[in-house]
Amino acid sequence: MDTTTLNLQDPYYYQQWKGLIQSEGLFIESLDDITETLGIYEGDQLIATGSYYENVLKYLAIAPDFQGGNTFNKLVSTLINELATQNIFHIFVFTKPQYQQSFKYLGFKVVAQTEYSTLLETGDYSIDQYIASLPKVSGQNISAIVMNANPFTLGHRYLIEQASKVSDYVYVFVVSQDASLFKTSERMELIKAGIKDLTNVKVVNGGQYMVSFVTFPAYFIKSRADVATYQTKLDAEVFKRIANGLHINKRFVGSEPYSPTTEIYNQSMESVLPPEVDLEILDRKAIGSDIISATKVRQAIEKEDLTTVQKYVPETTFTFIKNNLQTLLRRINDGN
Amino acid sequence: MEIKHTALAGTLESSDIQFTLSKGTGVEINLDSQVEKQFGNQIRKVITDLLKDYDITDVNVRAVDKGALDCTIKARLIAAIQRATDTQNQPNWEVLG
Amino acid sequence: MERLRRTMMFVPGNNPAMIKDAGIYGADSIMFDLEDSVSLTEKDTARMLVFEALQNVDYGNSELVVRINGLDTEMGKADIYAMVKAGVEVIRLPKTETPDDVVETEKVIAEAEKFFGIENGRTHMMAAIESAEGVLNAPAIAKASDRLIGIALGAEDYVTMMKTHRYPDGAELSFARNMILHGARAAGIAAFDTVYSDVDNTEGFNHEVEIIHELGFDGKSVINPRQIPLVNAIYAPSDKEIRNAKDVLNAIEEAHKKGSGVISLRGKMVDKPVVARAQRTMALAKASNLVDEDGNIYAK
Repeated sequence: MDTTTLNLQDPYYYQQWKGLIQSEGLFIESLDDITETLGIYEGDQLIATGSYYENVLKYLAIAPDFQGGNTFNKLVSTLINELATQNIFHIFVFTKPQYQQSFKYLGFKVVAQTEYSTLLETGDYSIDQYIASLPKVSGQNISAIVMNANPFTLGHRYLIEQASKVSDYVYVFVVSQDASLFKTSERMELIKAGIKDLTNVKVVNGGQYMVSFVTFPAYFIKSRADVATYQTKLDAEVFKRIANGLHINKRFVGSEPYSPTTEIYNQSMESVLPPEVDLEILDRKAIGSDIISATKVRQAIEKEDLTTVQKYVPETTFTFIKNNLQTLLRRINDGN
Repeated sequence: MEIKHTALAGTLESSDIQFTLSKGTGVEINLDSQVEKQFGNQIRKVITDLLKDYDITDVNVRAVDKGALDCTIKARLIAAIQRATDTQNQPNWEVLG
Repeated sequence: MERLRRTMMFVPGNNPAMIKDAGIYGADSIMFDLEDSVSLTEKDTARMLVFEALQNVDYGNSELVVRINGLDTEMGKADIYAMVKAGVEVIRLPKTETPDDVVETEKVIAEAEKFFGIENGRTHMMAAIESAEGVLNAPAIAKASDRLIGIALGAEDYVTMMKTHRYPDGAELSFARNMILHGARAAGIAAFDTVYSDVDNTEGFNHEVEIIHELGFDGKSVINPRQIPLVNAIYAPSDKEIRNAKDVLNAIEEAHKKGSGVISLRGKMVDKPVVARAQRTMALAKASNLVDEDGNIYAK
């Protein structure tokens, strides 16, 4: 058995790869979400393949004759070793529930699971370590809000304020996402600056566990209609695990009246979080009938329309945008 | 000796063991083995003895064992230590004695 | 007497399962590989794996050989030090081009023996010849160090360099094989043939072993344990050869008893090469389980 890197840009290897992936019932989403693909050959036959994107293993498939043996161990092991050479040691895999045990045999631990899927991790970090790293508070009513805050607006401020009023403590989890216009560290600082007066709020980095659920790979979900349900339910399960570790018993979310995805997300949270965690949906803050949103702020930045920006954000966020306008415009340009 | 950064050595194939060493406080060993019941303590002893030989007092050790011989456990742990301390091609011959 | 080296089994240095089991197949020599079968990112881990195995795993009577990375790589020196310390019997140099390659490696081996307080000269060497230059230098390479126990042909790189491929009749290797064999014999050391990589082709493998057996090679490199009994079968002496060997050995004993310096058999003088061949034939017969302790052929 020989292990090699597969160049999926080469039609010969792509066809071999696609054949194996599809015969194992997997669905090819996009090649952009693959950093590297490895293949194991027996002679000229591709008998196993696995890919990764950043620190997530993907598209693992093994030909029927080689399943249940050492091939799976070799495949996963080779991927882990390859990532280690890039100094990536904390690794995730999203997979069908029936493969959970095979990964557990290789030292993976379950982060969260649903009837559709399991999220497992291995390496030098774990969700338990993440939970242990967060500040601990005590009280009867500990609530949480998860936000991207790209950037922090008066709408976010309003959400946190509402939660703060009815809770002993509020955790604000900031989604860690490099693709955002505002960097994670900037978004965190702007939230902290904008809620200085609210002493019962803890702003924390969502780290690897609070990411946008739309980034969850779904190549192993047979029914494409179920993808959003799978993604949101798994996301809700991950949140619940963290909530349990911090004794969080309420989660606040802002309403999103026109987004079908948000509707599914809210349904998923309703089905997963209670009874341990209550879900409360708050109406978004509006100026008249004009709902405040970070999207509108970013659009105004792009137009260099500081008057509009100022309307939607607290003073602290406004000062930052004003002082860094050129940098932000450059980022917008580079993104295009 | 001090762990400079996380390092991994070994594989998950049969008869092998995979070690991940990372910075820690005190020695913490997290072992996964299908032969945990019979050999768990023996494996831990091999690990702690070797860490002592290298005078490593602060480290998180994650080990996933696939039925490795003692000498394989030692070899993989030595390799992981060398990687975590950037000494792959400068083995510590006194300890290897 | 020179030891039997019919088979030298290649074992990838980073495979614990194969390293663990390498002793059970009865290979005359086991060659743990730190070079081509180990990826660049795993050179360090393979070195420690072989280092520990050499000191802890029981490999019976097999001769233990390690193929190191060349001194022109950053791994070479650490490989030599580790293997010398582990007490390996033979260090195999890859891609030997000139006698100097042997001399340079010997220097580092001697340095390592001194460093570890090991008796000078205990670590033996063999050289793999894998290029046109190496083949042309084979006789000089074979005489480059007293530590050398043999030289070997590594054909994969060689045929590529010669702008050809491996073929069933072996014509592409005939010059290299003869050079290496002559170099080895002139220096009084062993000659090993290259690997045969199509493990499922028994017929092709047997044919190749017959060729090198006829030429006079000591043995063949094998990459799969299944190839070991095939080589041994071809190297097993015939009843006639065994009987002849026994006669020669008896004649030596007779001569010793009489206190005579001259050995004769059926009225003819027995020369040194004939004695050596008889001893080797008897050793082969014993290794093949064809004779008892006294050299009598087992009833079939």
